[in-house]
Amino acid sequence: MSIRFAVSALLGAVLLAGCSERNGETAAPEVNLYSARRYDSDLPLYERFTQETGIKINRIEGNADQLIARMKSEGANSPADLFITADAGALWRAQQAGLLQPVQSETLDARIPANLRDPDGHFYGYMRRARVVAYDSSKVRPEGIDDYAKLAGPRFKGKLCVRSSDSIYNLSLVGAIIEAEGPEKAGAWVRGIVANMARPPEGGDRDQIRAVGAGVCEISLTNSYYYIRMANGDNAGDRKVTEHVKLGFPSLTGQGAHINISGGGVAANAPNRENAVRLLEFFASAEAQRHIAANNNEFPASPDVAPPAPVDAYADFTPNPMAVSAFAARQPEAQSLMSEAGWR
Amino acid sequence: MAITRLPGAARRRVAVLPWLAAFAGLAAILPLAGVVAAALFGETADIALRDIFRYAATSAWLALLVGLATAFLGSLAAWLVVMHRFPGRDLFAWALALPLAVPAFALAYAYADLFDVAGPLRMWLRAGPGFDLPFGMRGLGGAVFVLSCAFYPYVYLAMRAAFLNQSVNVLEAAKMLGCDGWRALYHVALPMARPALAAGVALAVMETLADYGAVQFLSVQTLTTGVVRAWSVYGSTVSAARFALPLLAVAALLLWIERRGRKGRTHEAGNARWRAVQVKPLAGARGLAATGFCLLLLVAGLLLPVGWLLVTGLNTSPDWPRLLLAASHSLGLGIAGALVTVALATMLALGTRRLPMAARIASLGYATPGAVMAIGLLASAGIVWNLLPGSGYVIGIMLLVYAYAARLMAAALEPIDAGLTRVTPSMLHAARMLGRTETGGALAVELPVARGAMFTAGLIVFIDVLKELPATLILRPFNFDTLAVSANNYALDERLEQAGAPSILIILLALPAVIWLTRKIALSRPGS
Repeated sequence: MSIRFAVSALLGAVLLAGCSERNGETAAPEVNLYSARRYDSDLPLYERFTQETGIKINRIEGNADQLIARMKSEGANSPADLFITADAGALWRAQQAGLLQPVQSETLDARIPANLRDPDGHFYGYMRRARVVAYDSSKVRPEGIDDYAKLAGPRFKGKLCVRSSDSIYNLSLVGAIIEAEGPEKAGAWVRGIVANMARPPEGGDRDQIRAVGAGVCEISLTNSYYYIRMANGDNAGDRKVTEHVKLGFPSLTGQGAHINISGGGVAANAPNRENAVRLLEFFASAEAQRHIAANNNEFPASPDVAPPAPVDAYADFTPNPMAVSAFAARQPEAQSLMSEAGWR
Repeated sequence: MAITRLPGAARRRVAVLPWLAAFAGLAAILPLAGVVAAALFGETADIALRDIFRYAATSAWLALLVGLATAFLGSLAAWLVVMHRFPGRDLFAWALALPLAVPAFALAYAYADLFDVAGPLRMWLRAGPGFDLPFGMRGLGGAVFVLSCAFYPYVYLAMRAAFLNQSVNVLEAAKMLGCDGWRALYHVALPMARPALAAGVALAVMETLADYGAVQFLSVQTLTTGVVRAWSVYGSTVSAARFALPLLAVAALLLWIERRGRKGRTHEAGNARWRAVQVKPLAGARGLAATGFCLLLLVAGLLLPVGWLLVTGLNTSPDWPRLLLAASHSLGLGIAGALVTVALATMLALGTRRLPMAARIASLGYATPGAVMAIGLLASAGIVWNLLPGSGYVIGIMLLVYAYAARLMAAALEPIDAGLTRVTPSMLHAARMLGRTETGGALAVELPVARGAMFTAGLIVFIDVLKELPATLILRPFNFDTLAVSANNYALDERLEQAGAPSILIILLALPAVIWLTRKIALSRPGS
């Protein structure tokens, strides 16, 4: 094999890998988005932002903590402008690592309720997701699951499906219970959940809902949007499951269902700080919230944004007013409680 | 000509090879050094010792069972195909390697979904025939099955090459002494093919230890789960890196075992008269059994899971322009990654012929879990990012290609090293006596001899890059998706139907390379 062939093949390959993009030496305004939200349904939103503002969005998507690690490695030279994710815990960890800067924006403060953002403006939650219960309506009454405490009670021994404790959504829920009731009661709750498991944790939230549909268990913990997506999606089997499996909203200490956020914060060394704030404000706009609600089935964060179909049918519940930064900080504690109790 | 040069100049040129090797070795080992450094300093996570032992035990069982299963399946398939004639044998000879094109995570998606307790298959079984399968794919047993399907081709390819190249004389002698059929396999062919078996199983086990996508999807908690938990929940890269240290030790042990296995290969040398291996016809039920076994492997490793991905993806409408763009990225990275990795591995192999263990250490990245490698890669990438602020697209791609080289060095080094063993010391001595320097001899003698092996290595790296996930996820530049990244995004969002299209595109891109690879092995018997 001649060296010349190898070199030209290498150049060709690099060109192939990079063909379509990157000649932009022009000073066109841009914003660099580090996103742990990898939903196709967000893409039209990005295009809309570029149309409206002329600001081009460059994105890198990935696991939240890998993005955090990447920002740490990039240090002061990080090109990151805005970091968005679908869990308050990751935003809190980014803030703790000094990767986010406080933002003062009247627009954001007006649109986002105080409990869904960091008090100093390090991050803002622009969508809400409830961690609630899918239940078999032929065996379980809605009153039977109207409190998280009831899920851990003897009524559901061997009747509960839930995913593993690696799930950040489970960690946030347990973190919220620790915040609300203290570590001891939370520990007892976790042990009750483990005792009630119909099978060792496996699969994702959607698999738990299907398992309820198949009669493996009577109740399961799930994020609201997975259920709504199944009830309104293309998959006929999933739609059929949701005919008798219903979505119920338990309450934590009588104050409402556990709420997590999709949110973002401006990077500490953002080279395009202004554009980052504009993009965050755009995500928090009524238009964007409605788009995400309609397409990814999360709930709008702003109380004055009316939820569109199909989430409107599920939006009539009491959200717990707990500050998201409060439970986010308790994720490590939650993990320790859960592994102690044998929640794999 | 070298003889007309001054002695001093010649001496300087002598030193080139070891320097190149040192450069290649350092490049490969830098991320691992980053891991070790990360393990030394900082706060640790509060992960219960009980959990750590559970993860370690699961990893050990997984590696052991996958090692045994791939050794058995791969060797048996190779023995049947090389030494026997039965219906479909010529097809199976190359088709049995095709599962190599299927990423382990895609197999996991398909099997977890297909055998889910609430999946269509078991729902139908319960409603129709009225029984249920007593097992699912999520769990240790399922993971062993899925990973064995994914990784048996490594053993199959190595063993097929070994059986094809075995000495007919020895087999005939064994036959005359009354040792035939299965006994010949057990007492003669297998012991002689031990180096190939060790190499194939070592690759399969290292892939198993490094896997995260498949085991995570199958709800099996291995040491890599510990890595991710320490990193994600406790924010402690220190603990994550510490989880990696035992894995690195195991990988080093495997490589050492593999080297030891090779020491016994002297009995293979020196057979000048090559005659065709005698093929034994398998008639009737035995022929059908052989066909059935090979077909079962092919169905389990390729046809069933890919078919299921196709079926579930039928009523989705993939975003073709984006997928094709991702495919072009995957293809470009695959080619660039293959060329760079093969170049570095060749330097390493040439420069360390007297220090084989040093080269092996540089290939530890292959057995390092993706999440751990990411920690080390970020450490090395951080140097670049801080030296070249605002470094853009080209630097990003170069970092990524470098990451592949560091991670996949073992996959390239093994075949190249094996190819170089065909160069005898006397050939090199002849080159030196004819006035070549050590480097010149390498260029004139060793590279041409190892050319085929380098091409094989390139194909293997190309296939591995297409399936690679963790390094790509964490190091890629802006607006740059590959097929594996796209499949992973859909799977994490629990949209398996949509994960099918990118997974199948990966398989389509990898298939020609796999077919090429198996053809090369079929033609590898000297004199045929």
